[in-house]
Amino acid sequence: MGKIEKPLKRKINGREIKIQANDTEEIEESEDSDEDLLTEVQEDESSESEEESEDSDPEDSEDDCDESSEEQSEEDHQNVSEDDSDEEVESGDDDDSDESESDEEDQQINEDHRGQKITAEETASKSSTSDESKILQNDKEGSESEIATKEKTPRKGGRNSESVKSVGQEQISKATDEYDAFDTSDEEDIRNTVGNIPKNWYDEYKHLGYDWDGKQIIKPEAGDHLDEFLKKMEDPDFWRTVKDPQTGQNVILSEEDINLIKRIKAQKIPDVSFDEYAPWVEWFTSQVEKMPIRKFPEHKRSFLPSKNEAKKVSKLVHALKMGWIKTREEQARLRAKKEPQFYMLWSADDQAEEMRRIHKHIAAPKRLLPGHAESYNPPPEYLFDAKEMKEWNKLKNAPWKRKLHFVPQKFDALRKVPAYPRFIKERFLRCLDLYLCPRAIKMKLSIEPESLVPKLPSPRDLQPFPTTLSIEYKGHTDMVRTISTDKTGQYLLSGSDDCTIKIWEVNTGRCLKTIQTDSIVRCVEWCPNAALSLVLVATGNEVLLINPGVGDFVVSSRTDDVLKEAPNSDVVISERVKKAVQWCEPEQSLYDRGVRIQLKHFKMVTQVTWHGKGDYFGSLMPDGLNRSVLISQISKRKSQLPLTKSKGLVQCILFHPTKPFLFVATQRHVKIYDLLKQAQLKKLMTNSNCISTMAIHPGGDNLLVGTYDRKMLWFDLDLSTKPYQTLRLHGTSVRGVAYHKRYPLFASGSDDRSLIISHGMVYNELLQNALIVPLKRLQDHQPFNDFGILGVHFHPLQPWVFSSGADSTIKLYTN
Amino acid sequence: MDKSIENELQIRLITKQDIYAVPDDPITVQASVDCKELNELLNQLLKASNPDFLKPKEFDFLAFGQLIRLPLTAHLQEHAGSDESTVDVEYIERTPAPEPQDTILHDDWVASVQSTDKWILTGCYDNSVNIWTHHGKPVASVKEHTEIVKGATWVDRADPSKGFISVSHDQTAIIWSWEEGTDKLCPKITLRGHERGIDSVDVSKNSHLLATGGWDTNLKIWSASLDVDDSGEPISKRSKGTNKNSSVRTPLHTLKGHKESISSINWVDSHTVCTASMDHTIKFWDCQLYGISNEIVDQKAFLSSSWSPLSNTLLATSADRFIRLYDPRSTEGTVCKSKFTSHQLWVSSVAWSKYDEHLFLSGSYDATVKMWDTRSAKAPLYNLQGHEGQILAVDWSNDKYLVSGGTDNSVHIFKNRHPK
Repeated sequence: MGKIEKPLKRKINGREIKIQANDTEEIEESEDSDEDLLTEVQEDESSESEEESEDSDPEDSEDDCDESSEEQSEEDHQNVSEDDSDEEVESGDDDDSDESESDEEDQQINEDHRGQKITAEETASKSSTSDESKILQNDKEGSESEIATKEKTPRKGGRNSESVKSVGQEQISKATDEYDAFDTSDEEDIRNTVGNIPKNWYDEYKHLGYDWDGKQIIKPEAGDHLDEFLKKMEDPDFWRTVKDPQTGQNVILSEEDINLIKRIKAQKIPDVSFDEYAPWVEWFTSQVEKMPIRKFPEHKRSFLPSKNEAKKVSKLVHALKMGWIKTREEQARLRAKKEPQFYMLWSADDQAEEMRRIHKHIAAPKRLLPGHAESYNPPPEYLFDAKEMKEWNKLKNAPWKRKLHFVPQKFDALRKVPAYPRFIKERFLRCLDLYLCPRAIKMKLSIEPESLVPKLPSPRDLQPFPTTLSIEYKGHTDMVRTISTDKTGQYLLSGSDDCTIKIWEVNTGRCLKTIQTDSIVRCVEWCPNAALSLVLVATGNEVLLINPGVGDFVVSSRTDDVLKEAPNSDVVISERVKKAVQWCEPEQSLYDRGVRIQLKHFKMVTQVTWHGKGDYFGSLMPDGLNRSVLISQISKRKSQLPLTKSKGLVQCILFHPTKPFLFVATQRHVKIYDLLKQAQLKKLMTNSNCISTMAIHPGGDNLLVGTYDRKMLWFDLDLSTKPYQTLRLHGTSVRGVAYHKRYPLFASGSDDRSLIISHGMVYNELLQNALIVPLKRLQDHQPFNDFGILGVHFHPLQPWVFSSGADSTIKLYTN
Repeated sequence: MDKSIENELQIRLITKQDIYAVPDDPITVQASVDCKELNELLNQLLKASNPDFLKPKEFDFLAFGQLIRLPLTAHLQEHAGSDESTVDVEYIERTPAPEPQDTILHDDWVASVQSTDKWILTGCYDNSVNIWTHHGKPVASVKEHTEIVKGATWVDRADPSKGFISVSHDQTAIIWSWEEGTDKLCPKITLRGHERGIDSVDVSKNSHLLATGGWDTNLKIWSASLDVDDSGEPISKRSKGTNKNSSVRTPLHTLKGHKESISSINWVDSHTVCTASMDHTIKFWDCQLYGISNEIVDQKAFLSSSWSPLSNTLLATSADRFIRLYDPRSTEGTVCKSKFTSHQLWVSSVAWSKYDEHLFLSGSYDATVKMWDTRSAKAPLYNLQGHEGQILAVDWSNDKYLVSGGTDNSVHIFKNRHPK
């Protein structure tokens, strides 16, 4: 029934007035013919086709037809070649129209359809005509319906219908030929020119396609229901007229088609000619042959089971066994077993929010655990007395000021406790508390003090270094300010406040020699030149060059010979130098003591130091102002004043071990002078008020400075003018510092009596900074007048250290 | 198990001294038994087995080659011995305690001592060389050297008349001739060649050669003969300061190799010298090929050494408080076989006994002389007290006397009561 309704609706839209009467009829009719679907289709299709034929505007096509007729009327249609078939059709149409005018009586229903179609689709194809002709041949009975259409058409355009009819006639004759000539299957389907699309696409539109020029082809006006009804009544072939959905044409089914449909409906074999009961030909015998058909026997492999199959089967079996594939039962079981799955609706797993809560969890403030007051049976002292109750009531308007937010109540048994009346409110307030409670993560820096301490190697790994007191050198009667050793480490030289210099045998602690001086000995130093047996002694205002007379006698006597005669030099010594220092031959008494040269300075000499080669030495007079530093040369017996200006109170001077540099330590800075260029190279900032002493690393790139304010400063001269490291190891002022010449060791002695041995590894690599590890504190000296250790000196070869103290002893510490 | 049984041990007492032999049946003793109790036990056994044995004797007991100084269980634990099997305990007659006999006072520190059957030769810091009797009677004293005498040794200990050699920090060594028993000391030959002070001297076993070493790091080999002529040195080359009677001799060979001073020299055999040096090495020199045949390297500067021909091992002391026993032939493990720890300060001198391969003497800066058994590394046998300053030299050349000299200017003589 649905199929009927569609056209109905359309009609309603199109013509409102007529419908009412027709509609009812149609429905009735359709209901009547409900039983037979085929008829319904026919009716429906036919009505549509009529509409289309009416809708299409015939006038345009008429003009075209006229023009073409004029041109091609004389042509012989029979002789038209196959190539220009399109033209033929058109010309054919024209001819039809001409002929239709001449004999209208001969018209058939087929022609009518034909005409409509052509008017609608100007460029009808050859194949369509051939198809039509087929139908024509079959439909010769329905002449009545033919008449009906004929009568209908004049109402709109009589001429058009006539022409159509005439075309139909001509087509028949031609189509038969063409059919024979071109029976190609692919041409049969093309029946319209708008493309191979269903016609119902254009149901809603007035047109049913586009022509060559892109203009709409208007649907032929379909007859209204009345027309259709009439047609139904009059057209004998109406019942067998079917609308072709592809082309929108009414097609009258032939007898053959109807028979075919009938057979299909009866569930018979559609082909009439098929003999169901034809005698059975046994192409393949149904009996089992006992003898082989073929002469040769079956191949052996046909008896053997296929290996390939076996392999495949075994694979499948294995897969089943392993559970890789499942049988249907198993699958069903699994499906039944499967639990419902849940999905996150609002967020994904990888969302950051979750992680944030885990990692930066802010704990809610903890609430107090319920106490006795909360108990259902609290001790009597928790129950409110009258006064407390009064107070409770008084704070009605400010409940947050109450001590308790409830009144403790006593119940005999837990089961008698009524539900807490303010439970919801209380819970809400509690949540509100939590919500409003300001919570923030306190960013606390947790730095362990241990982690700030640099990782240093264990002292055990830095062996050897002096650890134990081995020998004490006793003999001096006053503070031993200064010590020094000879190059081989056989002898130790010490200068003391008791105005003596002593030479000791290192290994036994034997005092070999004692040389008396006139004043306090402030500094002694053994000559670094092995060819000279000389020690430099600063005592009072004098600097003495003493031949100790120990060690190699040859060297000793040669030294005496060298120093015996002063070289004559014509160089005039400036007055400034002359006043500062005078080279003197020692008196006989002094000479007997070993003094070879005496330098009388104009101020007290506090320090003397050898240059590495043992020819030059520097002497320091802190009170000498701009003449405080003096450099003297033994071979020429000449002195010079390297500094012209006073640099402040000079505390200590030192020669660079290899380069011609002089280090001058004032109270605050260490200045490095290039003696060749006579310029200041660097100024080291000690950040300290009073430098006491300094020592230079045998490599020459590192300087150790001790200060009276308890610090030791390690300068890396390549690195910076600021200390590479500041060591605060001592409790009081540092008086002596020393580097070992061979081992990576340095030591410092201070007034707190402690001698501190440290590991000071200097690497050849420029990128690696020195490694400084304090190793050992040795505290054996006795205090004397608040002085502890005054001099520190390393053994030149062994990892041993000497310390001289104010307690007039010298101590040797060995590894 | 019963507790009493648990604390008992089975020991078997054995000995190599036949006169003290007891039946070697296993004896069950308390595990905590110590040396004293073992002594009592052994004396009872000896009394029982030997009717002639009247006077109780003192014995020392050895287990696992070490003297038992602790209770037996502790000793077993220390040497990882099992207390379940029978322990073989060897006993030896205890070395008797030396008795102080005499003290010889010098004018200055005594740097070296050496004794013979009758005489004691000392080198002194007052440049003198002295000869004393064992009872402290001065026999001869001569100050020939101009510097401290660091060493003095007899050319032939058996025959003092062959003279002796002294070395000094005046860079010379002198071979002296001495008419035995008189004060006639005559410097025969002056050995010149060293450039710095000489610290050590030793004469070869056959008394033909002597070796000296000192602060010039060279080892020099000299002829030890008293004949003046065989040196071939013209008399004109004599030094000014020396006695006119003496001639000058130059070294046969100079062996260079040490980097620092040679502190001690020992002849291993007639053609091998062993030197201990401050450069942390001990070198063995072949005096036929004149090269280093062996070398021991340690961590610290060596101060003294002593070679034992009985056990072919070397004792050496370093600039620390230990005495180390080296076996230079050892190929496996360290050459240092054991370390004797008891001294408090540097051990300046060490000397083997000539008759027992286990006994030796050491003198230290802590003013004690100790007598050791090599089988007891933790504790010495005896401490010989008496000195009041550093010990610089000890000597056990004469089996009967333990002689030591030190910075208290004295030489102490202890009588050893165990001469074979």
